[in-house]
Amino acid sequence: MTVPASPAKRRHVPAIRLGHRSAILLTLTTIFGLVAFGWPLLIHQHAGANTAHSGDAPWIFVALVPLLIAIVMAELSEGGIDAKAIALLGILAACFSALRIASPGIDGFEPEWFLLILAARVFGRGFGFVLGAVALFASALVTGGVGPWLPFQMLAAAWIGFGAGSLPPARGLAERGLLAAYGAAAALAYGFLTNFWFWPFVGSSTSYSFIPGASVGINLHRFLLFDLTTSMGFDLTRAATCAILILVLGRPVLAALRRTSRRAVFEPVPQFVD
Amino acid sequence: MIRFDDVSFRYAEAPGLTLEAVSLEIPEGELCVVIGETGTGKSTLLRAVNGLVPHFSGGTLAGTVTVGGRTTRQHRPRELADVVGYVGQNPLASFVTERVEDELAYTMENIGVAPAAMRRRVEDTIDLLGIQDLRTRPLRSLSGGQQQRVAIGAVLTASPRVLVLDEPTSALDPAAAEEVLNALARLVHDLGLTVLMAEHRLERVLPFADRLVLVPGAGAPLVAGPPEHIMRTATVAPPLIELGRLVGWDPLPLTVRDARRQAAALRDRIAPMRHAATPPAQVERDEPAASLRGVGVLYGPVVALGAVDLEIRTGEVTVLMGRNGSGKSSLLTALAGGRKPNRGSVRVGGGDPHTMRAHELITHVGLVPQDPGLLLYGESVEDECQRADHTSRLEPGTTADTLRRVLPGVPTDRHPRDLSEGQRLALALAIVLAPVPPLLVLDEPTRGLDYPSKDRLVRILRGLADRGHAVVLATHDVELAARVADRAVVLADGEIISDGPAREVVCHSPVFAPQIAKVLAPEEWLTVGEVQEALEEIPA
Repeated sequence: MTVPASPAKRRHVPAIRLGHRSAILLTLTTIFGLVAFGWPLLIHQHAGANTAHSGDAPWIFVALVPLLIAIVMAELSEGGIDAKAIALLGILAACFSALRIASPGIDGFEPEWFLLILAARVFGRGFGFVLGAVALFASALVTGGVGPWLPFQMLAAAWIGFGAGSLPPARGLAERGLLAAYGAAAALAYGFLTNFWFWPFVGSSTSYSFIPGASVGINLHRFLLFDLTTSMGFDLTRAATCAILILVLGRPVLAALRRTSRRAVFEPVPQFVD
Repeated sequence: MIRFDDVSFRYAEAPGLTLEAVSLEIPEGELCVVIGETGTGKSTLLRAVNGLVPHFSGGTLAGTVTVGGRTTRQHRPRELADVVGYVGQNPLASFVTERVEDELAYTMENIGVAPAAMRRRVEDTIDLLGIQDLRTRPLRSLSGGQQQRVAIGAVLTASPRVLVLDEPTSALDPAAAEEVLNALARLVHDLGLTVLMAEHRLERVLPFADRLVLVPGAGAPLVAGPPEHIMRTATVAPPLIELGRLVGWDPLPLTVRDARRQAAALRDRIAPMRHAATPPAQVERDEPAASLRGVGVLYGPVVALGAVDLEIRTGEVTVLMGRNGSGKSSLLTALAGGRKPNRGSVRVGGGDPHTMRAHELITHVGLVPQDPGLLLYGESVEDECQRADHTSRLEPGTTADTLRRVLPGVPTDRHPRDLSEGQRLALALAIVLAPVPPLLVLDEPTRGLDYPSKDRLVRILRGLADRGHAVVLATHDVELAARVADRAVVLADGEIISDGPAREVVCHSPVFAPQIAKVLAPEEWLTVGEVQEALEEIPA
């Protein structure tokens, strides 16, 4: 009797696989998410007719975003997420939370982001998406950061993870440079996007605040000014922290995560032959 | 109860078969021990019983594994949880909760047992394993033997009919191992459980085993049968069996008692050869390699070492023995300069190790800690060797050369944590030995080592002593001590209670005597090798 070797040498198995339906759902969620973040820019077209709902519209997003995230999670796990991937999710989300607690409270010094980016890089974009959402949720629970902003943060972090998992192949210093650049950009974008959701509520007393019904150009300009003046310093520190940590700790952490990935055998394919 | 029908298995990216055409049947109520050297597929065999191989590991399985009437083809591991309980090597790694009671209930919560039944089974399990005193303790505060018993309890609560254990006692000291084995023997005898376990230290489990399964490795077929039968030819054998084979006893003795009943004639025959066979080790005695004067070590109010005086001589292997917490590790730490003693002085090679600079210290004394992994930080064996050359300020390549001398064929691209226990120990030894320290200190080096790895360790340590190094090792392994030691020092409660030539010290202690000494007492024989030499010298 002979036992054949596995059909094809499996090069790299992502910890969480994205199927067709998951991909479609994820795209839809992303589009919806962009709308959820960007609605202040878009409502000008219907400004005349629909201002009646401009007050409660954002709250619909607050309610819908978590539902969407839940649907994506359910879809991703439909094929049964590997027990080992779940264990890894748990551990990495806990590390992320621990780093978030440990951040010394200096504005913008948030060391947790580099871990999300490195983990997503190694375990793939599906895992990165789920890890971003789960890690943000878990760390919000332990840091007392639960509020209407949480779904937006989860979605933004999920995108960061997804993006890190989608970066082109590279190795060595080039890879760390790429990840650091991405990390810095992602950290900036995170601040930018999460500001968006509450910006319309800041009030209309200043020249940086939201004008319902004004053109996209005007509102975007005002938002940029708002972002620059209120949180740019904060975001820059976060971006620098993230990039520096990736450059300094990237090598050992990537090596450790890759070894885990190699040893874990995600989605084992048991075969039985006669 | 467990049936393997022509089972072959290949890991997904492995070049060869790990299991080849295994057919095996283990009847209900047997305690069956799987033996064989490291890396021959023992763990794969065990994990195939409840379907972890191939459902969890991936890979291709041919043939059928049936357990309690269910095949692993049709049933995934979770569907076999009520039939097979699987306990891994490191219980701490398998615990999911923090407290003993919670851990016991966890399995049942997952398979959906009603709360009343759950409560009852937790109580039953606690009584069965004798862990009443532990029930509210945090799992991390337990000793190794206690942890292992809780891990067994946690799978027992699902009331499986088969228990599979992967080296349950290899990391334990003798007393803890005894606890675990007694608990297992009780489960087999009182409840009729079927137990399948892998084990390295055969001297302990042989008296308990109903059946042995020898996994010879290298494609040779697996052999199963009653212990006295399998042991006649097994490549791995405890000293008692080797003695029995040497003298040609039939049936082979599995316990010291069996052997003593047959040993009277042998004792008389070799008694006259006693002195010829054991030339006392004559080494020239110059400066001691290290000395301790009135050394006391305190951990808060706890006295780890009282006031110990000890001289370590060059060209000698000194073995430290004693129960856990008797001060062995504290003594070794003081020798290696890891901690300044609260009282007294330590001199190593003319200096105080505690005040030496690190690079100076490693040229005087080398310490191999209990977990050799503590010395290993690199990403590969090669990387590790290069780092060691750098930190020890040696010629590049020295450590790699030392490693080849200690153990040839360690894969240089492998991650240190993916090595076998024996390979990891060899790597740690090479790192410590590369700067050629005159004093080598080892803490409990034989955990998880199979017999060939132990043989190699004995040869290395003897070779070092013959070249004039001083070697100090702390161990619970009396068989190793019997083979390697010139001198034995026994510690109890932080004091030296006996110190002298190894032969005298261990032969007169019922606790530290090796099997051969127990069989041939009152004559002072320590190893099978000695008996063999004596027999060869007897004029025909």
